[in-house]
Amino acid sequence: MERVIKKATIFFLLTGMISGGCKKLYNLPDEKDYLSSNLNFSNKIFEPILGRTTLMGGFNSDRSTEPLKFEIVNARWGDGRPMTDIFTEAETYVWTGTYTGNEKSLEEIEAKRKKEKHPLFEIRRSGEFIMWSASTNALIQPRATDSTNFPQNTRYFDIKVSNSGGEMLIKDFQVRPWRERPYEPSNDMNLYTGGIAPNPKDPTNPADRDYIRPFIYNVLSTPSEKNMVSNDDRKDIVAFIRPFSGGNGHNLRIKVLNKDSLPINPSTFNETSWKTMLHGFNMQMTNEYVQYDVGYPIPLVEIPTPYAPGGTRAHAELKYSRIGFGGTRVMAGFGLDFAIYRPGDWEIVFLFRTENPKFEND
Amino acid sequence: MKLRLYVFLLLTGGLFPSWHLLAQAPPPATITVRGTVVNKNSNAPLQSVTIANEKTGKGVGMTNADGHFEVRVPAGATLIFSSVGLATKKVKLEPGQTNIKVPMEENNRSMDDAIIVAYQRRTKETTTGAVNVVMGKEVQDVPVSNVEQLLQGKVPGLNIQNNTGAPGFRGSVQMRGLSNLSISGSGSESFLQPTSPLYIIDGVPIDADKASEYGFQTQGPGISPVSLIPPEDIESIQVLKDAQATSMYGSRGAYGVIIISTRRGNSKVPRVRYTANYFVTTPPKLRETLGGNAERRLKIAQIVTNARSYDDIMRINQTTFLADSLNPYWNNSTNWQAVFYRTTYNQTHNLALDGGNAKFNYKTNLGYYTEKGVIKNTGFDRYNLNMNMEFRPSDKFRIFSSLFGSMGIQGKGNGLGILQQGVADNGTASTLLPPPSYYQSSGAVVSALKTKNDNSSRNLRANVDMRYEPFPGVAFASSLSYDNTSDMESTFTPAAANNQFARVYDFTGKNFTLYNRNNFTYYKAITRDHSIFINAFNEIYKQGAQSRITRQERTPNDQMQGPIGFDSYFSRGGGVLANFKNATIASFAGSISYDYQKRFVAEFSYRLDGTSSNGLENLYSKNPSVGLRWNFSKEKWLKDLIWLSYGALRLTWGQNIVPTGNLQSIYGIYDLNGNFNNNPTIGINYDQIPNPFLKPTTTTQYNLGFETGLFNDKFVVNFDTYFKKVDNLLFDRYLASNTGFNKLASNDAGIANYGYELMVTARLIAKRGFTWTVSVNGAINRDVLLRLPAEYNGQYTRIDNSPYNQHTVFRVGRNTLSNYLIRNEGVYSTDDEVPVDPVTGKRYQSNGVPFKAGDPRFKDVNGDYVLDGRDYEVGGNSQPMVTGGISTNVVYKNFGLNVYATFTAKRTILNNALSDRMSITRDPFDLRAVVPLSDLDIWRKPGDHARYPNPYDYGRYNQIQPLRPDQTLWAEDGSYLKINNVILSYMFNKALVRKVGFNSARIYFSTENLITFSGYSGPNPENVTTLGRDVSSGYAVPRKYNIGVNIELNTGN
Repeated sequence: MERVIKKATIFFLLTGMISGGCKKLYNLPDEKDYLSSNLNFSNKIFEPILGRTTLMGGFNSDRSTEPLKFEIVNARWGDGRPMTDIFTEAETYVWTGTYTGNEKSLEEIEAKRKKEKHPLFEIRRSGEFIMWSASTNALIQPRATDSTNFPQNTRYFDIKVSNSGGEMLIKDFQVRPWRERPYEPSNDMNLYTGGIAPNPKDPTNPADRDYIRPFIYNVLSTPSEKNMVSNDDRKDIVAFIRPFSGGNGHNLRIKVLNKDSLPINPSTFNETSWKTMLHGFNMQMTNEYVQYDVGYPIPLVEIPTPYAPGGTRAHAELKYSRIGFGGTRVMAGFGLDFAIYRPGDWEIVFLFRTENPKFEND
Repeated sequence: MKLRLYVFLLLTGGLFPSWHLLAQAPPPATITVRGTVVNKNSNAPLQSVTIANEKTGKGVGMTNADGHFEVRVPAGATLIFSSVGLATKKVKLEPGQTNIKVPMEENNRSMDDAIIVAYQRRTKETTTGAVNVVMGKEVQDVPVSNVEQLLQGKVPGLNIQNNTGAPGFRGSVQMRGLSNLSISGSGSESFLQPTSPLYIIDGVPIDADKASEYGFQTQGPGISPVSLIPPEDIESIQVLKDAQATSMYGSRGAYGVIIISTRRGNSKVPRVRYTANYFVTTPPKLRETLGGNAERRLKIAQIVTNARSYDDIMRINQTTFLADSLNPYWNNSTNWQAVFYRTTYNQTHNLALDGGNAKFNYKTNLGYYTEKGVIKNTGFDRYNLNMNMEFRPSDKFRIFSSLFGSMGIQGKGNGLGILQQGVADNGTASTLLPPPSYYQSSGAVVSALKTKNDNSSRNLRANVDMRYEPFPGVAFASSLSYDNTSDMESTFTPAAANNQFARVYDFTGKNFTLYNRNNFTYYKAITRDHSIFINAFNEIYKQGAQSRITRQERTPNDQMQGPIGFDSYFSRGGGVLANFKNATIASFAGSISYDYQKRFVAEFSYRLDGTSSNGLENLYSKNPSVGLRWNFSKEKWLKDLIWLSYGALRLTWGQNIVPTGNLQSIYGIYDLNGNFNNNPTIGINYDQIPNPFLKPTTTTQYNLGFETGLFNDKFVVNFDTYFKKVDNLLFDRYLASNTGFNKLASNDAGIANYGYELMVTARLIAKRGFTWTVSVNGAINRDVLLRLPAEYNGQYTRIDNSPYNQHTVFRVGRNTLSNYLIRNEGVYSTDDEVPVDPVTGKRYQSNGVPFKAGDPRFKDVNGDYVLDGRDYEVGGNSQPMVTGGISTNVVYKNFGLNVYATFTAKRTILNNALSDRMSITRDPFDLRAVVPLSDLDIWRKPGDHARYPNPYDYGRYNQIQPLRPDQTLWAEDGSYLKINNVILSYMFNKALVRKVGFNSARIYFSTENLITFSGYSGPNPENVTTLGRDVSSGYAVPRKYNIGVNIELNTGN
């Protein structure tokens, strides 16, 4: 009897074991993350401008399973020397809150971002490359001033993409940084040397130069009473974006100079909405300039706001009105769509080069 | 020892150990006993009943054709009478008794059931395959257009989803999971190629997928041959599941085999049985809609509160149906759904006449079924006349012939039958529009209601089956059948429904199968212990099909529906359709079965299929199988357990090989390529490179089964576990452009299914006049994708190019059909919850518009703070993992109550119906009805934690797409428990009905699709496509209430 039960027990246990869960027995493949053999970058040469936070995309995962891990490997100069300078860590701003343009103080803006240490050039998990704004000409040698592009002066690296499904090496990315352009428009600056740009109409003349050209409308000159313009041929008004000393480190001034380089009282531009023109605080108006406390870069975030309708450039517009010919009120103005990337004390100077604008009524 | 005993009891489920040894009897004198064995019910004599002496266990004789026997046994011995299909009966001889009459009952012991394997009747005891049997009476008390509907939940592992309410159409049927990767169509109409089991009706194979192999695009009536079977005529349905059982059916048995046996004549006096059903079908609860002014007010409120500009508000004044509320044309509250849906009253009648005895019997069944669809202008009618006759002049010869004639007539409305897109679109028309009337009606309404659609499928099947047994144990049989179906569809669309010109469409199709099978069987009991059974046969199919259409895009007027002339511009569509077929299949099959004392059974079988659609290099497909069975209850050491009625273990392995390609994939396509030197040239089509090495799809299946009956079969347990590998599935490989060809049809995909099936039947109470039986069955099936062509690197994404964007992913190692969707993680309660890109400072955005409060929280899968095509994730499983059914059966005196429920669990459904319904709010200026969303958990104000996003912000709708269909918000669990049939019956008192000339009379009340319990937010989790999409244009599954009667006329004495 005992033997019978023993046999039966073994038999039923065996049955249970065989019929129980046995994925292993069936030798089924395990699920792996998918890593497409077609994943690629549409662009392998990156030419960021130093001093600005630049996000560079072009990664096509071809539906590979996220999250993917990206790693920059084999960073080198074209002649094989190891390349490290672009991976220097530096403090840089990262956003933590939503900038809306409705912030009421500089502190409120600063509460929405913080400083973090990051390598100046890195890749994030979306496969996008970032050149942080902390990158300066001093930290990263920009491309040669003589505009050559020799391999030994070019930075190369490879990217290792991996997930649990495997890894892939994508080779020979290049970084060719442009030197800093702390402001835009920057056509008055030589992109290779950082010096003064020649006049595009007369590039070989070292005595002539290029200027930032503001927009201008309905401004009559005095005494010749011509419509003042600023174009390639005639530059009645030009602008400079330049640092000044004596500010608190985050000031922005707007100044208008007449043909004698003497300041015009800002209150002359009586139709200007000074208070809402820029996202600045503590506006001070003197006889020479208007000054704000601002957060850099300007604009802070490239989204459309009342201060930067297109998103990428802040809009400064100085306006005045006068009774024109025939007794109609003429609204006249000029201004500049600009951006400033390097924090500091900056002034935007509008210079009437040829004649002064006419403010008097006709 | 004690512990072991408990373990043993626990494992066997035995509750009390009551085995004991039988007492020994004294030696008596030998006498001769004569007698007759008769059927207890019909009193008909029973032949070939084996008589054994219980004490010795030896056979002592057998009854002859008249049921007589004569045996010599010791006086006072106990005789055991046994035969296939009959309950074994023990008779103890009284002292001096030499003449006995033995009434035998048809048995209900499942172990002794006769089943059909490879066209041979065998006892279940000696077969090794996994087989379930459903008796005809289980599917006969509810009128259905397709008997498959009632098989749902009755066989573990047979997953039937009655996913359409369109009368005459089939749902989906899958045996043991997924066998196919082939998806056609896009969006909601994505369609998984059906892999229905092979149906064999009275020995004649038919193809159930014949009418639906092209999915929603199928042309012609689309009436499945299964819909033409009258349920009343079914004796039993047998489902073969594992490869050992199906391999003898060759390639066509790869998806399982369902054998339907119709009734045979079996009554000394002619019997006339009449069944009538009167049933009501009611549409399910339809979409709630805001009517009339409520609709207008909601739209205006939506515009005013969400307007992006002053112009938007001004647009209200320019939109007449919003502004001009006093205009009678716009001042309505029309219930559009009521225009299309209805409650219908239907009936079925069936008259069966049968008679005869073992020598000669006959049966005639005349059936009529009519069901009008709950959508107007749809319906299904079926007419049947089935006859069969069996003649057995001697023990050696038998001839059986049957004739099966049927006609199905179907109305599809203007839709495709299964889908009613027109009705779905019109059902959402603005309630402000006037209802259709004598004077005016929209073209779409006319199209849905007035399109004349006449579909019919006429099927005639004749079958002759002969068997000759020259010596005992040796038999030759031959079966010949011809099956001919002619399909017709003619659709007339009146001018008002087709831009002022009437349209005519005509389809005619014809297909036939000529089938011949020649069989040789040999049975030999070598000694008392060893016996072998050999079964060899060959089969030849000759199949042909051809169908044609004509379409006249414009005809002169509504009165002229034909004959139609030819117009070079408007006569479009025509000629022979691509489903032309002229095929021959020749097969040879053989099996050997050996058993030792009926204790150990071993079976080997092999089948060769040669078809013209195999690659030249693989002309014959080979289907081997092996099966082992151990009836452990016959072991000596278990024989004494009287509570163990029977018990067996089965282990099988087998292969089914299905030709997978078509002639084009093997030989290529050759086109006329214009002229060269004034001669037409023929060149290869460069889309697909020919592949003569194309291998057939190979299904390999292992099955381990365990079955036992306990306490005199009070509890019957059937358990099977299987591993099914479907390999060499057809999968396109895209070629490098330097090959000159675009793609190669390859065989490099494979799926595995593994699972468990359990069926437990308990006869809980069986007292006089009161019985209660409960049966529960369930199956768990997991499918795993095994491989894909190497260059896919383990994943293939099937991009859905419809606006639904609901992609499907095949990933190796995962369940085969996964959804590829954007993950919805809730709704942004406030603006601050929207993440900000630390690099750019911009908010997470979609199409350039940042998200804000009330928008859905879509997972940013790749971390770039932009929602786009790269943010899809794999998830879900569109195939159900758990399916099964529960039934209870109570009989109390003359009353009977049967309840059948089915369940499905662990399945992902995409609720496209809800997404369609909610996204009507995308444009309040559109003439569409609005549905009340008050019952839904939608975001209304900052701070709300909601499930559904704000649907009313129409200005940003196209950028944010909060209700986009390709998100997991609509992916819901489609588990359900459906109480499908409740049948309450009353059998009238025999004495009473005899007075009115009936032999018996029974009345019953039954329901179908009574109630569904589910957490699913849509109307019906079953009414979804095979890929788990709840389509708003799907045909709603109605509820059915039925009153029926069974009457048997008293024809004799």
